[in-house]
Amino acid sequence: MQFMLLRLNLKQTMQLNQVKDKGQYKVVKMNESQRCISRLMDMGLHPGELIRVRHEAPLGDPISIEFRDCHISIRLKDAAYLEVDCIKASI
Amino acid sequence: MDKRLSTIALIGNPNTGKTSLFNALTGQKQRVGNYPGVTVEKKSGIWKLSQTESLTVIDLPGTYSLSAQTIDERITVDVLSGNIPDLIPSLMIIVIDAENLQRNLFLASQASELGVAIVIALNCWDIAERKGIQIDSKLLEKRLGVPVVPTVANQAKGIDNLALAVKKALGTKANMVRPKWPEPVQEAVKTLKQDLSQIDDASQTLSNGEIQRLIFDASSAVSKRLKGDKAKISAAIEKAKDTVQKGGFHPNAVESIIRFRFLKPILADIIARQATLKNAIHSESIDQLLLHRFWGLVIFVGMMYLVFQSVYSWSGPFMQLIEDGIAHVQSLASSALEGTPMLQSLIVDGVLSGVGAFVIFLPQILVLFLFISLLEETGYMARAAFLMDKLFQWCGLNGKSFVPLLSSYACAIPGILATRTINDKKIRIITIMIAPLMSCSARLPIYILMIGIFVEPIYGPAISGITLFFMHFIGVLVAAPAAYLMNHCIQRKSVSTPFVMELPRYRVPNFKNIYDRIYKSGYAFISSAGTMIFAFTIVIWALFYFPRPASLENEIRSQNSVQLLDESSLQAKIDSAYLEQSFGGQLGKGLQPIFNSSGYDWKITVAVIASFPAREVIIATLGILYSLGGEMDENSRDLRASLKNATWEDGKRKGMPVFNIAVAFSIMIFFALCMQCGATVAIIAQELNWLWAIGSFVTLSMIAWAASIITYQSISFFL
Repeated sequence: MQFMLLRLNLKQTMQLNQVKDKGQYKVVKMNESQRCISRLMDMGLHPGELIRVRHEAPLGDPISIEFRDCHISIRLKDAAYLEVDCIKASI
Repeated sequence: MDKRLSTIALIGNPNTGKTSLFNALTGQKQRVGNYPGVTVEKKSGIWKLSQTESLTVIDLPGTYSLSAQTIDERITVDVLSGNIPDLIPSLMIIVIDAENLQRNLFLASQASELGVAIVIALNCWDIAERKGIQIDSKLLEKRLGVPVVPTVANQAKGIDNLALAVKKALGTKANMVRPKWPEPVQEAVKTLKQDLSQIDDASQTLSNGEIQRLIFDASSAVSKRLKGDKAKISAAIEKAKDTVQKGGFHPNAVESIIRFRFLKPILADIIARQATLKNAIHSESIDQLLLHRFWGLVIFVGMMYLVFQSVYSWSGPFMQLIEDGIAHVQSLASSALEGTPMLQSLIVDGVLSGVGAFVIFLPQILVLFLFISLLEETGYMARAAFLMDKLFQWCGLNGKSFVPLLSSYACAIPGILATRTINDKKIRIITIMIAPLMSCSARLPIYILMIGIFVEPIYGPAISGITLFFMHFIGVLVAAPAAYLMNHCIQRKSVSTPFVMELPRYRVPNFKNIYDRIYKSGYAFISSAGTMIFAFTIVIWALFYFPRPASLENEIRSQNSVQLLDESSLQAKIDSAYLEQSFGGQLGKGLQPIFNSSGYDWKITVAVIASFPAREVIIATLGILYSLGGEMDENSRDLRASLKNATWEDGKRKGMPVFNIAVAFSIMIFFALCMQCGATVAIIAQELNWLWAIGSFVTLSMIAWAASIITYQSISFFL
């Protein structure tokens, strides 16, 4: 429990593909030169936006995230170009 | 009446009901073709506004953005900026999903810069309303500066208002509000325009919107149009991008950031959400189950089993019905044409078999498309792709290839048609190319015949089962590396689209849309692939019918007059003799040396050639060649005995049995990998083009041939 709290407080920035827990995250940085990132930006995902990590496919890849009213699937290798802060991980 | 109709274009995000709207506007008056030079489906139709006025409507591919990452987006930009002759739209209807306004308006905002008059169709109005989302469309219209018409496309509601708005807007210029671009962007657009005018005179005609596309898009559709020195052009574009970059904006990101920022105040107070977010939560709890790491997979397997069964067995009775029907007509025709044997054979074995050869696929196609459109309409298809994606990533495919490939295990024809659900062109091509390697049900009779004679009696049922399983698996063993290779070899320059896939909200399927998809897939198959399959059947019939000297029959009859053969055995003998000396028979004898290393004698070679239209024909052909008549099936005892006892007629293997376990495996492997299916060739030609069709036929035949030699030689070596 203590460990959990610690993790919640740390607000450590990480790449989206390294996120272990579902829950709410805040996008802090996006690598604009990647094509998949342009696609996400065209769908309305920008730095500063809140996302929710919702599902992980049975084989561990891809994951599904939700932002605005949009639920999308994204592969881990593309998710690596997004950096996020953890807001609230749900267990 | 010679007056050319004005053209209007329909654009919008995927999953907005754009196609429903297109159907509602044009009814059945639609045409499907291709855009010049590319294989992007071009759908157009006639919209009767009133008794006297009609418009041509083009349904552009669904896109999220005009940023031209995919060929679909490039076509959209090309059409909207009037760059495809004969397809210059004077107005565009932008279809917008009422549930996801901001994202949908992003595309509208991009499109508005291209200068074409705009009418916005605010679609799925009813669903939004039911969810407690109320949109002030009048206020939105005022703020955007273009007409906004609420519609419910799948119930054809709001179409009259849309017609009024379109009539009024035709001939006007787009005056939708545009974002104010930051200084660096304005600067970049201005200088780029100047720079380009020095390189290429034609660039004068480019609108500011098109110049923007040059700066914002990594691979713009517009840049392809510029003539003149390529190096100078890209230098000018790079310079403009630099200007943007120096101003503190990333050229790839600035458009999206500015436009979304610009749309935010426009949408303020437009949407009144009532407390009931019921449906969103509804969708979410369905996902909790369907995307669950364990239960989601269980349900997925169940669903796919259902889909597979539907194609594999449920369509069986209907296929039987068609077969019986054709057989009935054949026997009627046969007795009616008794006096004219050639005409009789042409009608019965050529024309009627040819019709049967493609009509037989209809039940499978219709049933599969019923399921596919159900899966797509409800929103489950995207989930299925999500669950399976990892399996396909390494060889460059994605999860959307799963359903087409699974269906191909029943039959490649519906499977290849099902690849229409894959929107990435390159992935679709690869999936179509490997689909014929999935072991379809037409191969089963050959496996059963060969295993029944040469494996089961010696090694028992357990090994037989394993062999049968292995035969179904070998195609995948070849398909996976083939897909990997193709991914690295074909269209290397066009980097495939990143697999960012929307998981749309679950929706109740619309009956009309489903009916429409099923009808269209069936119609396209009959009118395009059907005629080709028919033609193949006639050609193969002629090849194995001619020449047919009457003397041969008389000779056999006189030879056998002393023996008391009954009429049917005699007839079988005559058929066998005719087949042997027909063009096809001679061709088989001529080609036999090619298959010598695979262990085939001329009879097997003839059967291989005769089974080009459909694999299962090999069994009937072997039946005729061994003078047993054409009504043999894989369980026939006579046929099994004849094959077992067959010996080489000449050559250095004279007197040795033709068939042994090495030959049996060689035949099975050949049929597992080859493309002995005229219908598949035809359907590939229909879906891609003849080059791909012939290319895949030749390649798969070579692979099958090589594999049959390796199989025969290695088994012979060890035994």
